[in-house]
Amino acid sequence: MNTRAASGLERGDRRFGLMLTAPGLAVLFLVIIFPLLFALITSFFDYTLINPNHDTFVGLDNYQEVLDEEYILTSLWVTLKFVLASVMIEFAIGFSVALALNSVTRFKNFYYLILLAPLLINPVVVGLLWRMILHTELGIANYAISLMNIDPVNWLGNANAAFWTVVMVDIWHQFSFMAILLLAGLASLPREPYEAARVDGASSFSCFIHITLPLMRPVIIVALLLRFVFAIKTFDIVFIMTKGGPGTATDIISYFIYRAAFFGLDIGRASAMSIALLLIVLALTIYLYRYMTSLR
Amino acid sequence: MHKGLLKRLLPHVVLLVFSSAILFPILWMLRVALTNKMNAYQIPPVWGNPNFNNFIEIFADNSFMGYFVNSLSIAIGTTLIALPLAAAMAYSFARYNTGGLPLRLAVLSSQMLPPVILVLPLFSLFLKASLLNTQTGMIIAHITISLPFLAWLLVAFFEGDIVIIEQAARIDGATRLQAFLRITMPIMAPGLLAAGLLSFILSWNEFLFALILSGPQTNTLPVGLSSYQSHRGVDIALLSAAAICAILPVFILLPLMKKHLIKGLSLGAIK
Repeated sequence: MNTRAASGLERGDRRFGLMLTAPGLAVLFLVIIFPLLFALITSFFDYTLINPNHDTFVGLDNYQEVLDEEYILTSLWVTLKFVLASVMIEFAIGFSVALALNSVTRFKNFYYLILLAPLLINPVVVGLLWRMILHTELGIANYAISLMNIDPVNWLGNANAAFWTVVMVDIWHQFSFMAILLLAGLASLPREPYEAARVDGASSFSCFIHITLPLMRPVIIVALLLRFVFAIKTFDIVFIMTKGGPGTATDIISYFIYRAAFFGLDIGRASAMSIALLLIVLALTIYLYRYMTSLR
Repeated sequence: MHKGLLKRLLPHVVLLVFSSAILFPILWMLRVALTNKMNAYQIPPVWGNPNFNNFIEIFADNSFMGYFVNSLSIAIGTTLIALPLAAAMAYSFARYNTGGLPLRLAVLSSQMLPPVILVLPLFSLFLKASLLNTQTGMIIAHITISLPFLAWLLVAFFEGDIVIIEQAARIDGATRLQAFLRITMPIMAPGLLAAGLLSFILSWNEFLFALILSGPQTNTLPVGLSSYQSHRGVDIALLSAAAICAILPVFILLPLMKKHLIKGLSLGAIK
């Protein structure tokens, strides 16, 4: 009797849960899963913007073409360099700022609000803002360094400079993300280990290495993984600042696929590339998910 | 003694350096927006009397007003549709574990999806369904971002003490639906509002979908701003004024959601 009542309750729970989930799930299927399947199918066809139809099945030809494509490796290399450089520097700056912010009491809210600002600024505005500041003749940056007797820099003009300029702008835009997440982690650390270490005469530095870092590990890993995936998505600042150039210096993967689809007009081939990118991001997401659930 | 002072000052030095690195470019853009067009180009900088002429000019410009209104209605439309759907989903994830791990993973993956992957099929499908350059199309596109974001974020909202209050209501004879609609939703309303504002901002700032799927009648502010760059190439005073207007609403909303921002940024991983 009791078990029957319990299973009745359970069935009710399940039915109610499904009822609540169904509308959202239906929309999710319609606007995300269905388009993704459409992209998967398109990747096996000769589907171009000149002939946008699934009438020529080409099997794996699009994938073969992607592998043969000379510049895809360049683009992947640029993406990897961009993601590693920006996320690592953001992490270093973000951690220093988080540690500093965690140790002050005065003006804490003031600093915190300033830190939040770049995160909320439209990426297009970020790109335009820095283009204006870094303009070779009319920008304030070159004027400022000329006061220090440094020759003007052509920030977006040559390959190497342009790459590091985009990295720098991304750091300006995103380092607060790291700072704020890591600060939340620092603020929730227990006090006892530090007090015990102080009694034993440990220095601040060894406290940081032996207490802070190990305790912060989960937060650090989550913050890094999230930023890695978000950095792979980067498109806006490249579109605004460099259009992938000069040459292929800033041709990161999102921009590369965008160009293949809307300038190369070959949606089939672009779909093949995006399916490959999807697999990479999915793998990272599954890793992140397993890590996040293992923390609970 | 000196060492103690240094130790206390060092964090402030670090924070001041990075705070000014953040503030200076923003204030510089504000300065350019408030000068007249000739002074905006002077290097070394010329400090004239600040005035609001650039702001008056862009608001008198029909295309700018169009972008502004498009962005506003698309962001509001997206949030109004996505928020209730996501709240119901997140609630049943949190309370009844509906769909289990696979469904949660699907929602998280949707959130991590690079937009360029989705924009290709959406473009082809919208072309067939004549949804290119329509507000409906733009709202559909932005729901692909907002719905998974909100569903994932709100799960954390529905876990915690609220369960106890709900159980009390259920013992008093409330049905599951009543407990959800009459008890949980009102109590969670401030959190839902903050989440809704985050979703509004996601849509307001979104660029790639708008670039490809919107057209002359439906261009949003980010697309409008990016086109100013080529059309008026040199008019940085007007461009700065327009950019300030694009980021201002976000800063006005900031105090309302500051508390929930960390949860939003870390996708609920860090509270």
